[in-house]
Parts: sequence; structure tokens; C-alpha cells
Amino acid sequence: MNRISATLLLLALAGGLLAVGGPSVTAQPAPAGQPPVPLERRYITQVAPLLGQYCFACHGNGKSKGDVSLDKFVTFASVQADKKTWSKVAEMVREGEMPPSKKPQPTPAEREFLNNFLEELIEGDCTGPRDPGHLTIHRLNRAEYNNTIRDLVGVDFRPAAEFPADDTGYGFDNMADVLTMSPLLMEKYLNAAEQVMDKAIVSENPAKKKIVRISGTSMDATASNSGGNLMVNGECFKMFSFPADGEYEFRIRASQDPFGDEPARMTFKIDQKEIKTFEVKALRGLSTFYKVRLPVSAGKRRIAAAYINNAKDETNPDRRKRGDRNLYVELIEVEGPFNAVPPPPPESHRRLLFVTPSAQVSEESAARQVLTRFAGKAFRRPATVAEVNRLMKVFAVGKQDGQTFEQAIKLPLTAVLVSPHFLYRIELDPINSDAIHPITDYELATRLSYFLWSSMPDDELMKLAEAKKLHEPAVLDAQVKRMLADAKADQFYTNFPGQWLELRNLDEVNPSQRLFPNFNGQLRRAMRREAELFFANIAQEDRSILELLSADYTFVNSTLAKLYGIPGVNGANFVRVPLPPNLHRGGVLTMAGVLTVTSMPARTSPVKRGKWVLEELLGTPPPPPPPDVPALKERNNDGRNLTFRQRLEEHRANPICASCHERMDPLGFSLENFDAIGAWREKEGSIPVDATGMLPNGQSLAGADDLRRVLVERKKDFVRALTEKMLMYALGRGIEPSDRCTVKDICANVEKGNYRFSALVQGIVKSDAFLKRRGKKGTP
Amino acid sequence: MIGKRISRRTVLRGLGVSVALPWLDAMAPAISSVAGAATTAAKAAAPTRMGFFFLPNGMWMPNFTPAAVGALTELPASLAAFKAIKDDMLVMSGLTLDGAFAHGDGGGDHARSAAAYLTGAHPVKTAGKDIKAGVSVDQAAAEKIGGRTRMPSLELGLDKGTLAGNCDSGYSCAYVNNISWRSDNTPMPKEVDPGAVFDRLFGSEQERQKLRYRQSILDAVADDTASLNRQLGKSDQHKLDEFTTSLREIETRIEKSRQESNGNFKQPDMHRPDGVPGDITEHMKLMCDMMVLAFQMDITRISTFMVARDGSDRLYRNLGVTEGHHTSSHHGRDSKKIDAIQKIDLYHMQQIAYFLEKLKSIKEGDGTLLDHSMIMVGAGIGDGDRHNHDELPVFVAGKANGAITPGRHVRYPRREPLCNLYLSMLDIMGVKQQRFGDSSRLLEGLKA
Repeated sequence: MNRISATLLLLALAGGLLAVGGPSVTAQPAPAGQPPVPLERRYITQVAPLLGQYCFACHGNGKSKGDVSLDKFVTFASVQADKKTWSKVAEMVREGEMPPSKKPQPTPAEREFLNNFLEELIEGDCTGPRDPGHLTIHRLNRAEYNNTIRDLVGVDFRPAAEFPADDTGYGFDNMADVLTMSPLLMEKYLNAAEQVMDKAIVSENPAKKKIVRISGTSMDATASNSGGNLMVNGECFKMFSFPADGEYEFRIRASQDPFGDEPARMTFKIDQKEIKTFEVKALRGLSTFYKVRLPVSAGKRRIAAAYINNAKDETNPDRRKRGDRNLYVELIEVEGPFNAVPPPPPESHRRLLFVTPSAQVSEESAARQVLTRFAGKAFRRPATVAEVNRLMKVFAVGKQDGQTFEQAIKLPLTAVLVSPHFLYRIELDPINSDAIHPITDYELATRLSYFLWSSMPDDELMKLAEAKKLHEPAVLDAQVKRMLADAKADQFYTNFPGQWLELRNLDEVNPSQRLFPNFNGQLRRAMRREAELFFANIAQEDRSILELLSADYTFVNSTLAKLYGIPGVNGANFVRVPLPPNLHRGGVLTMAGVLTVTSMPARTSPVKRGKWVLEELLGTPPPPPPPDVPALKERNNDGRNLTFRQRLEEHRANPICASCHERMDPLGFSLENFDAIGAWREKEGSIPVDATGMLPNGQSLAGADDLRRVLVERKKDFVRALTEKMLMYALGRGIEPSDRCTVKDICANVEKGNYRFSALVQGIVKSDAFLKRRGKKGTP
Repeated sequence: MIGKRISRRTVLRGLGVSVALPWLDAMAPAISSVAGAATTAAKAAAPTRMGFFFLPNGMWMPNFTPAAVGALTELPASLAAFKAIKDDMLVMSGLTLDGAFAHGDGGGDHARSAAAYLTGAHPVKTAGKDIKAGVSVDQAAAEKIGGRTRMPSLELGLDKGTLAGNCDSGYSCAYVNNISWRSDNTPMPKEVDPGAVFDRLFGSEQERQKLRYRQSILDAVADDTASLNRQLGKSDQHKLDEFTTSLREIETRIEKSRQESNGNFKQPDMHRPDGVPGDITEHMKLMCDMMVLAFQMDITRISTFMVARDGSDRLYRNLGVTEGHHTSSHHGRDSKKIDAIQKIDLYHMQQIAYFLEKLKSIKEGDGTLLDHSMIMVGAGIGDGDRHNHDELPVFVAGKANGAITPGRHVRYPRREPLCNLYLSMLDIMGVKQQRFGDSSRLLEGLKA
């Protein structure tokens, strides 16, 4: 008996059926609620016959192309014992590389059935409970910090602009594991907290009259003078902050060394405007005050005293006529403002200090109320009594120094903003346990708001958390809907696509000015804005996420319309425009921003573009290049220059490079009709552009439109890739092998929800990975 | 009865007492009043400063390596920038950064070269989770002797590092953007705004007034942190450690600042720079000025300077080149690209020459600030086209208080670890270690 018939006989015996020539496959997964067919049974009854039909021609019956023969795997145990071979089989079948395009192909249903089987074989099935994974405490990144300060304090001055850049992991800057802390950053947090509180709370009545003394030695001086000692014509000056509009009196204590027939003359100036000139007759050591009073409006101004009539003669033959006139400005006193109307305190002041000491409320009680409320908001859960007590001690330090309530309360409020409970998003586990447990409703509110708003939860979320209702599915749905419609969701619509599509890198690209003179800051910004508006539109109108691949519309302003060749768009404002087929554009793939960040300064890079498609749209990134890659040859052996395409093909002739470049390059080549800043081109120089490409399975591509069509066909891969990216962004951690089933669940939810954007977000928010966490005891 | 409780503040103050006043302030009378032979005391007291410059994308080595070993006579084209100070230069050929090689990890030489540059470590390939490089040489020194100055170390750079995506073939951007590492997994980010550096060095007016209140604020935060730590699992505690150590360093610094003339820092003879200049030459000049001031006024003795992140494709329009640095560095023997990297290399050297000449122009004790410094300049890649990590371009400028004899070119045996140089530099700083990174011994030939 030959080997193949032995195999088939065994199969027939084990499976109880003989289906030579046409094994029937029901590619449907087990109906919901019923246990799936065990892998072993599936292998024997259905998979093995398919292998016989499509694979044994090269990998069986005595043939073992590529050193792979599959007919030796008679028992399921032998399959399980050789995961290495079967991983390779899984990859080949999934990528459509096998069976080769020239050989008979399985039906789509058969292929999907095989894919599911192989995936479960390699990675395990999804019958058990989902592992939600572990989130490390998460430092707020720069965007989160700015937004949180804005929502917490009501001060919008983006202090994080001065913080060191956050490192990124997995392509995103909100990954807890790489958001580190350093002394530099700690110092910046402290500075920022103080500045925030100085802006938020008016601790001194700016209109209160006071006297400020500026000593001559503390002033700067012009010419060769030093401080207030004016030996030559020139001035001493100081920048002075006038707290409010009002009248101010200036008293300048000055004296002179006399010489010649007139006293030293001193002109007082504000912001270079001459106010009054005095004759300073007082002699050195007997200085006196020279006064002037006038209205000045609030703000920082330069006040100066100028010496204008220097006289000196130290060489006169008559010694008695020798001398040097000098002016000494010892002090400038500024008193004011008189009769000023105090400006109203800012909104933030009233919001934070919602109680102030009065006849009914003691200072201690007011401080406690203010701090309890503020710390509760800042910590995103009620503050404990112990925490408030610690803050009260800081308040007491200020009070002991005789500070006002407003001054002293700033100190503990500042302390809240540098507390780890504010700077980190913290979720607690039961002590020393590995158990999976639901997160608290407060923790859930925080996860939701940083996912969709990159900011702290608002009052509504906090109230629902307090009532322990937030985790209820209906409440969660309603809140997600509300949050996506809120203006704050703009953070999600910019931060997510900006990083997923790598568009943030637009700030770093430098297209050659010689080749692309029309590339400038305006175009750079327009490219990024297009993608953000496009993404936001799909989210807000709850459209199909497949439109990200294939939309026949986009958003342009006049700058971008010009690049795309769309007539009739004027001005800097973006409008939605249809994309007729002759423009060959649609979806993120052909957006100028994407095409630009995947190019070199002076030319396109099919390699980068292909890699981008594999990584960002299909979720199958190629492995990094091996070390010591030889440079591409510039000339053929006969000395003729090679075109870039020829050079890359040369590259792919090298087997080390080929396995990946055969996947990347043909994808990228199909986009060659777009130049290095994403404009359409038919020719490169005088040579017509060759935009043909090929997929790993041998399917040929005739250009960008073809590639788009293929991507839509592979929507399953796209949905999985986007789900993984968004889940990472939502959780702030990388995707682990243990997340595979979670991702699968969400993808199923998306498919069931007609690919609507909300189905993706809801799927993420309702996953165990989002609602639960696993404790992590033991050493890290 | 329980003994008297010692507050944390008291402990910090205790630490601070051992902190010397800035060297210049303490020594000023000695320097001004004595001359000639009597300056030996001052000379002995001048501290040694240690600086590191990092350059991206390798160099055009034919323009870097002197033709002959021994006394430096003819300078190759890129080093011609140092003509005026060639006797302060010790050029070292043949050093190797083994940690930057792939060792089976595939692509990502730029990330590895930056991460390994001062650590000697072979960084763990990860896009985010479980980042691990190693403690860098500057931080190894700062940990031991940084407490002698107000700031243990100063990290400077020119580009902010705001890339999205994996920075290099699956390596997190943390590896590409930082050369200074306080611990295996905590990089020390660099400051790029000269005005902000100025404020850190000299303190703004407001800050000085606030020191006392800051102490109270940080006391409360430290208590919060300690109680939080008790509630966390091990891996989160590990993460919170970064916070705790950062907090402690700020507290110590505030304590020291208050002791130094009641927080009235000596002010430099220079105005506060206003923000980041658009022009790279001006930007680098100001950052170099900050490093000079920090050394001169003995605010720190240890500093790093990352000229650009590795793999940087900065377009040097000011040099008339048309392609970015990284693109040009993959020259493939193309003469136009080689010309471009030659220009870029020379330009970088000219900027560093400005810094070194400035150190040399500052008199300190019986010598110059440069005499009391050792400034290591180099790259983690040799030839940008080959991505090799042996035969690196490296030189050290300055005499390190007599521990180094410059004015020479030394060639080392194949694969001599760069970390041997670091081990020696630590040794010169008074930080005695058995090993650093992949060091095998102290580097020979530093003294003639």
C-alpha cells in the first residue's frame, strides 16, 4: 500500500467518513452557545482532506518542496508536536502565498476555515475567560497634563510645552511603561504647579496700594554707568509691574557731584516717554526726594532715571576749574495705585475657593473644604482624611508666616498638583494577589476620559462613579456616546490618527526645496489637518471604519486642493469635497500626509510605503532589516545607471532581503504615481511612471486604485490592525499574545455592528481588558 | 518612650552639610591674592569636569583619523576645526562599542548606538515594555560624586525628540532620544531650551523666594508617596521608585540651594537667553555657553550633550546641502553625499571647537578650565553607511588636571572596548569601579 492511500484510509477510519475528491467544509464557526468542534476532530475529519486536495501535490506523496511534507502528519499528536512547521503553514495560508497562484485554489470558505483552524492550533482557542492584563501606574503625558490642568483649574496656558518630550512605545506617546519620571521633569512639574496656582488664584489684591522701593544698585544702567551711579550721560532703569490701572507716585532719592554752572539734571521716564526733568541740587551725602505723580495703566513697564547734562574737565591747567559732575540715583520709591478699581478675580479663583473664611466659616474649615474638593477632583476619586490632613499641615506653614487665606491656600493646592495621585493614573489591586477583578467605577471613569478626551473625568462621570453605576452596560453606552460628541473628544480625533498614521512625523520631514518648492508650513499643516478632520468626521457621523480605506470624499483647503488638483476651493478653511475616480484618491492610503512621511526628502520610497501599509493598515509589520545590509548598487555590471526600481529589484534578488522586500516593495510600487509630497504624476522626469506591483500571492496590482481595492477585500486584516492600535491607545499598554481573544471579540463586535465607528469604541470599552485588571504580585 | 523622632528634613540637612560651596566662591581669595608657586593649593583644589558629546550617524572616517600615531602634527580635514587647540586633543582610534552591534537582534543600529553610547549596554529590543539599557558613565559618576555640587549632572541637547512610531526598527524612542541613563530603565531627558537651562542653573528670582515653601510642599508629597507605595504591587512600586528618587533629588537640591548664600545664587555675567533660537548655530552656541557656565561656576562637574538623536535626518540648509544628515550618511560611495557628510562633520566639529576654545579661554587656578576638564566627543557608529560600531570616531579634549596627556593620536588594538575609556574617566573622577559596561581594563595610553 502506498503512503497516500494509507493516510487516507487512516483518515477515513478515524473520522468515520470517506470523502475523497471533494471534502465538504462548513466554514461556519460553531453557533453561539455551543462548544466548538475540538481541534483534533476538525483536523482528522476536515483539515487533513483539504491538505490532501490542495497541498500534497508538492508537499506530500513523496514530494517535499521547501523541505515541507505534510502527509507525514497522520495523527493530531504529531501536528501538535511540530508547531514550527505548522506556524509556517499558517503564515503561508494566511498571506495567500500558498497554494501558489498557478495551482488550484481553495474556496474563500475553505481558506477561512483553514485559517481559523491554524490560528487556534498555534495560539490556542478562545473558550476560557479573557485575561485583562495588567496596567502599570500611568504618568500623565504632556497632552494629558495640559488638558487635565485646563479642566481641573480652568487655566489654559499649556504648561507642559516646557516639559521634556514623552517617549513613545508601540508608536504611541501614552504608554505607561515608557512614561518615565526624572528629576528634570519633577522640577518642571513643581514649577508648573506654582505657575498654575499663581494664575488661578489672586492672592493679593492687585489694586491694594503699596510702596515698592527699588535701590539704585539693583538697577541696570546704560553707557558706562553702573546701577544708579551715573557718571556719564545715560540712564538707570528697571522693569516694573504695575498691578492695576491707577495713579502712582514716584519718589526718586538723588544727589549730585556739582561741577560747572548748572546742577545735574535728571529726566524721569516711563517706557522711554519723558515724564519730568528735575534739577538735582542736593549734594552727595545729602540726597533728597524728587517727586512726580501720574496715572499709569496696568502692565510691565520700563521706568528710568536719565542723566542728561554730564560735564567734566580734568585736564584744565587751572586746577580749580577741574571737576566732574555726576548724578547719583539712590532709590526710586513707587507708591500706588491710588483710587484704583480692583479687577474681578478670574473664574478659576471663584471655582477653587468656593468657600472663604467669614463670620460663619472658620479659616480652618474653609481650607479643609477647599482642599477636600480640589484633591478629590485632582486625584480622580474622593480624597482621604489622611491626605487632607497632610495638606492642612502645608496650609498651616503659610498661615504661621502671617499669610492671607488666599496666599496660604495656594501652597497645599500646589502640593496636590505634584502629588503622585495627581501625576499618575493609579489603579489599586487587592494586596498581593494575582486575581482578575473589575476596576472601580472611579478607575473606569478615568480610563474612559483619558481614552476619549485625554483628560480627567468631568462631573457627570464622577457622579455616576460615586453612584457605582458607570459600569452598567447601558450607562456605559450612553456615556461613550456623550463623550464622543463632546468637543473634548477632539483630542482623540487628533492624537490617535496623528500617531497611528505616523502623521506627527510631518513635523520632522524636510522635502527637498529644489524639487518641491511648493512644500511649506501651510501645506504641512494642511496635510495633517486633512487626516484629523477625516477621522473625526467618521467618528462623529458614526460611519463605517472601512471608509478609512475607501472613502470617496475628503477634506481640503485651498492649499491642499491645489496639490490634489481639485478646483474651486478657496481660503484656509477646510471643506468636504467629493473625490471623483480620475483623482485616484480616497481613504488614508492616498492622503498627501501619509505619502509624504513615507518618502525620502528627494524621492519616493516604495519600501517605506509598503512597510507602512503592512504595519499600519494590515497589522503585519515586516521584521526589521538584518544588520550589515549592503548598499544598493548604483550601476549595472555594464556600467549603465540603474533606475531606482531596478536597484530595488537587484536588492530583492538577494535571498536574505527578498523574503520581506517581496512583501513590502510591490505594495509600495503601486503608489508610484504619487510623488514624494503626494502629488499625482504620470511621469518621473521624462520616463512614464511604472506603478505596477504585485502581492505576495502573485496577484498583480495595476496602481493605487488596485491596491485600495485589495485592501478593502482584506478588511478583516484591516479591522484587526485598527482594533489592535486603538486598544493599545485606549489602554496605554502594548498588545500581548494573551489579548488575542479580546481583539477577536472586538473585531466580531465591529463586524456585527456593520463596521460602524461606535461598534469599535464600544467593543473596546466593554472588553474585559478595559473593565477589569489582573493583579501583579511578586517581583517585577 | 520612643526616642526623639528625627524628621526627614533634618536628615536632608545632614546630607547637605557635606556639600562644599561652589569651588570658585570658596577659592576666590586664594586665586586673587596669590601668584606663582603659591597657587599649588588652588591647583590641587580645582575639580575635574567631565563632559560628553554625542554625534549621530557616524562620520566620514578618512577626514577624522590622523595619518600617523604619536604627536598630533597634521590634522585631518574634519579635525582641522581644532587647529588652535590641537595640543589639547587626544584622538583615539580603534575603540569599539560592542553593545551597539546586533547580536542577533536585527536592525536598529541607530537606536542601539545611542542607547549603548554612554552605557556600554546592549539595549533590550522592545517598542515599549520592559525597557532596559544600563546606567550611563555620566550618571555612574553623578551618583557617587554629584552630591558635591548643586546639580549632580546636566543633560543638554538640540532636538526635542517628538517622533511618532517606533523610532528605529522596533526600538522605543527612549533609546534613540537619550544617551544619559540614571538606571537601567530610566533615561535622563535632555534640556533643549537655553533659557530654561539658565533658570535651572541660576534660579529665577521667584524660585529663590519660594524655596522654603517648596520644602513644605514636597514634604507633604513625600508623605503621600510613602503611603501610596505601601498600597502598590511590586511592579508598580518599581515604577513609583522613579518618582521617589526624582523627588528626593529635588528636595536635596532645594536644601543645598538654601544653604548656599540663603539661596542667592551667584549670577553669571550673561543675560538669560530667550527661548530656542531658530538658527542651529546660534542654538548650539547658547547650549555650549550654558555648559561652560555650569562648569565654570561649579554648579555641576558632569554634563552630556546630544547634538542630535541617532538617525537624525536634519537638513543642514546653512551648509548648502540638499539632503538630510541620515540620508546623506548612507552615501553608498555617492560623491555628492560624501561631500555633504564631510560638510556636516566639519560643521559639528567647528561648533564643538567653539566650546573647547571657550573652556580654554577661562582662567582657573594656574591653568584654564579646559586643563581641568576632559571632554569626550564621539559617535556610536563609525561609517554611517556601514553602521559599524568598531573603529569609532572618538577624541578627548583637555588635561583632566594632569591625568591625560593630549596632543597625540593613539591607536588601540582591534575591538578595544570604548568602556575602557569610561572606566578610566570614572577613575580620574575618583569613582573607582571594577567594571563599567563591557570594560576589560583601564585604558592605556591616556598619559604619554
